[in-house]
Amino acid sequence: MGNKTDVWQGTLALMILKTLESMGAQHGYGIARRIEQISGDQLQVNYGTLYPALLKLEQEGYVDSDWGVSDNNRRARYYRLTRAGKQQVKKETRDWEQATAILARFLSPEGPA
Amino acid sequence: MGALRAILIRITGTFGGRRRRAAMEEEFRAHLQMDYEENRRRGMSPEEARRMALMNSGGLTMATENVREQSGLPFLETLFHDLRYGWRTLRATPGFTIVAVLTLALGIGANTAIFSVINAVLLSPLPFRDQDRLVQLWETESAPGSYPFAGPDYIDWEVQSKTLEATAAYNYPNAMNASNGADAQPVIGCPVEASFFNVIGVSPMMGRTFTKEENQSAKSRVAVITYGFWQKFYGGSSDVLSKKLTLDGEAYDIIGVMPKALNFPSRTQVYLPKDMTTTGMRTRGQHWFRAIGKLKPGETVASAQAELSTIAANLEKQYPDSNEKVGAKVIALREQITGSSRESLLVLLGAVALVLLVACFNVANLLLARATGRLREIALRGVLGASRWRIIRQLLTESVLLSLMGAMLGLFGAWWCVNLIQNATFLPVPRTNPIALDATVLLFTAVVSVLVGIVFGLAPALQASRLDLGEELKSVAQSVLSPTGWNRRVRDLLVVGEIALSLALLTGAGLLIRSFQKMRAAETGVQAENVLTFATLLPHERYKNTPEQRAFFDQLQDRLSHSPGITGAAVATEIPLEGGNNGYIAIDGDPDPTHTNLLVEHNYVTPGYFAALGIPFIAGRNFSEQDLDYAANATERIIKLNEKDPNEKTPPDIQFTVIVSKKMADTFWPKEDSIGKSYHSPHSTTPYRVIGVVGDVSTWGVRQQSLPQTYHPFTMALGDSRAWGQVVVHSTLPAATLLSTVRNQLRQIDSSLAMIQPRTMQQVISENVQDAAVQTWLLGSFAALALLLAAVGLYSVLSYLVTQRTREIGIRMALGAQQNHVLKLVMGHAGTLTAMGIVAGVIGSLLLTRFLQSLLFGVSGRDPLTLAAVVAVLALVALIACYVPVRRAMKVDPLVALRYE
Repeated sequence: MGNKTDVWQGTLALMILKTLESMGAQHGYGIARRIEQISGDQLQVNYGTLYPALLKLEQEGYVDSDWGVSDNNRRARYYRLTRAGKQQVKKETRDWEQATAILARFLSPEGPA
Repeated sequence: MGALRAILIRITGTFGGRRRRAAMEEEFRAHLQMDYEENRRRGMSPEEARRMALMNSGGLTMATENVREQSGLPFLETLFHDLRYGWRTLRATPGFTIVAVLTLALGIGANTAIFSVINAVLLSPLPFRDQDRLVQLWETESAPGSYPFAGPDYIDWEVQSKTLEATAAYNYPNAMNASNGADAQPVIGCPVEASFFNVIGVSPMMGRTFTKEENQSAKSRVAVITYGFWQKFYGGSSDVLSKKLTLDGEAYDIIGVMPKALNFPSRTQVYLPKDMTTTGMRTRGQHWFRAIGKLKPGETVASAQAELSTIAANLEKQYPDSNEKVGAKVIALREQITGSSRESLLVLLGAVALVLLVACFNVANLLLARATGRLREIALRGVLGASRWRIIRQLLTESVLLSLMGAMLGLFGAWWCVNLIQNATFLPVPRTNPIALDATVLLFTAVVSVLVGIVFGLAPALQASRLDLGEELKSVAQSVLSPTGWNRRVRDLLVVGEIALSLALLTGAGLLIRSFQKMRAAETGVQAENVLTFATLLPHERYKNTPEQRAFFDQLQDRLSHSPGITGAAVATEIPLEGGNNGYIAIDGDPDPTHTNLLVEHNYVTPGYFAALGIPFIAGRNFSEQDLDYAANATERIIKLNEKDPNEKTPPDIQFTVIVSKKMADTFWPKEDSIGKSYHSPHSTTPYRVIGVVGDVSTWGVRQQSLPQTYHPFTMALGDSRAWGQVVVHSTLPAATLLSTVRNQLRQIDSSLAMIQPRTMQQVISENVQDAAVQTWLLGSFAALALLLAAVGLYSVLSYLVTQRTREIGIRMALGAQQNHVLKLVMGHAGTLTAMGIVAGVIGSLLLTRFLQSLLFGVSGRDPLTLAAVVAVLALVALIACYVPVRRAMKVDPLVALRYE
């Protein structure tokens, strides 16, 4: 269970942060649907992974949450980026791009011979 | 940053999750509802929409669990769960818990108390700046040992040394008369060089310390007081710096108050400027004060030693008369202060650690007995899927909880003990650092209690991990409690260990008791009954010269010996057991060259001294009035001559009379009558003629061999700036009455004189062996404690044995076994355990008592008598521990026993 979850949660955290950056404050359901849409329905985000990840981001101080009212008048918890969160998005994006770039060099056919 | 924040939040998140859970459930419900509505909008039927939403959720229970894990720390949560569970289990068996907690509290409390002393004395650095660079300086002579300084030598060292950054001379603290209104009180004053406070790096909390100039006069009337003295004499008043303190009839300005932490040299209450003038520092032949120094950075004790030895060797060449064989000795100040108590403290720590080990064994034993009762519970948990590690962890948590409870209770005990020791004088250890339950001690207690919990919890935990679940459940089904053979063997072994350890402790205690008895019975050479002693000090201001001083002491003796109930009174410069002045002598034409290296003790006494203390005359006569007059006049003449020229030789016509001890006579004149013989001091030709020989007296304490001793007419000790006399009063009056009579007489002659250290001679002897008394008492209590615990251990194992075998005993009896068969069964087991314990204990004792040897007096560490007595005591206690279980076994009713089936 260990490793797989970690990697998944690592990328999930970035997806959540990016979603909140582009959409503004959003509830858990909205975040899940957005991630699923963007992934072209290739990812499925269930509660068991989404909410612990949100809680972790909140504990780390990157997101904040408040109870609010949804479009159809339902009480829901809304998550939004904090200032530290915004910086974290930049940092993680940069890290991720760097990591994929490095990996890409290994995977490309004209890799170092 | 984020990660740290998360951990902190998760620690707090471990507690109080009910509200959070409600919020989470609401969030999940909202999520589910939104999903459901979305599905409906897409045109699904209500059932299908609900089914899809639930499927998307991926299992709500799982999600709840995941969020819960993220919100707290699962590790902490398990710990709290285990603690709660352990607490419930312990509460369910209050009898067991109370016994175990008390046992541990005694063990841990005693360890904490002893450790707090060790921490203060041996482990804590001295409360001085750069304390590792501070050294004590001594001079040495041809005889082994360290000797105080002679003034001119000190000055030469101070000027010439390049390894020392600074040095400070200070006198031995001595008593002074402080008059504070009505009655005079003794105060301990210590004259110090101005640099003293800089060297130890302690600044005054109020005011200032001395200046160099104040050392350069005999008339500097300024005083720096300690915190304790400030509190005691001035109630801590803030205007103390404007007050005056009258010491020995002279008014001193109080110029500074030192902080509370300073207690060096110990017992000091008032610091005065040491007279460092040429006259004040006296000659090279007089060794009388101490010195400390501070090494330059990078220098070591060894390098300073080498340098100062060279300086001393040069002085020896320069002043062969006074400095022959005078060398140098450097020792780290910390070692100097703590060195003498190290050994006995470590012995005590070792002993108290053994007590704790016995306590551990005992609790392990109790736990094992209880664990057998809990086998069913543990087996059940195993079957229900608890991992072996999880069960061990649970059991260890429980035992650590137990030991922490013991530690809490033990801390109370230790706190009480430390309060008791803190200001008490009965524990003779250096008090440079205060004894307290500080952070180090608390940390020690915490670590010890966790370790202890693991040690005694290990056996039951291991037993649990060895469980064969299937077998266990089968026996549970039969509802028969059957301890594994392993359990029984471990418990037997623990009891053997307890017996062995208590035997070792008992041996130690037994040896100390025997040695203490020997000390108390040791021949001091005096009859201590009905003797009161105290000291008086005559201030120079009112008692300037020999006649004035002599008049005072004569009057005091006269008044005392004519008081009703007083049968004798005398004055001396020293009293037995408390040390004294010593030096070398020379005998013209002495064939034995080793005699010049023998130290001889000097005391100055009035004729009544020998009768008052019951020191017998062996030959010759006592001092007469003529002897006293002659000595007074001759001494006065010498003082006057020396005032004109310190190097003036004593006039050749002077000849003193002296009384010597039997040891002195036997040592220096082994084959001839010593009466009429004479000797002189190595640096002068003035003869001392022996007129009498008296019995030997312990000069330096009951444990020291008595040294050759001389007694001079008391009047020779007079004429000095501060005449000092130890008054010895013989009387059959009750001590309290006698004390007030003597106090009255003293007050009537001069009310400004304090009665310094009034004690009965028996008190003097007790104080002399105080350290041994405390050691004996402590080790004795530790041994008694260990013995009690071992007895409880043996009792519990035997009781258990009887319970276990009730059925077997019943069957045997039903089949016709006699009661003595049953007796044999139980006693045989007890006997085997005790015998094994005793054998192991005797071997252990023989190994361990080596460490005790240096504390023993007059008894060998392998004293067979002590060992035999200890074995007998242990066997007797074991027998008593057997009594109840054996009786129970004998009373087994076969019918009842068989109904157990």
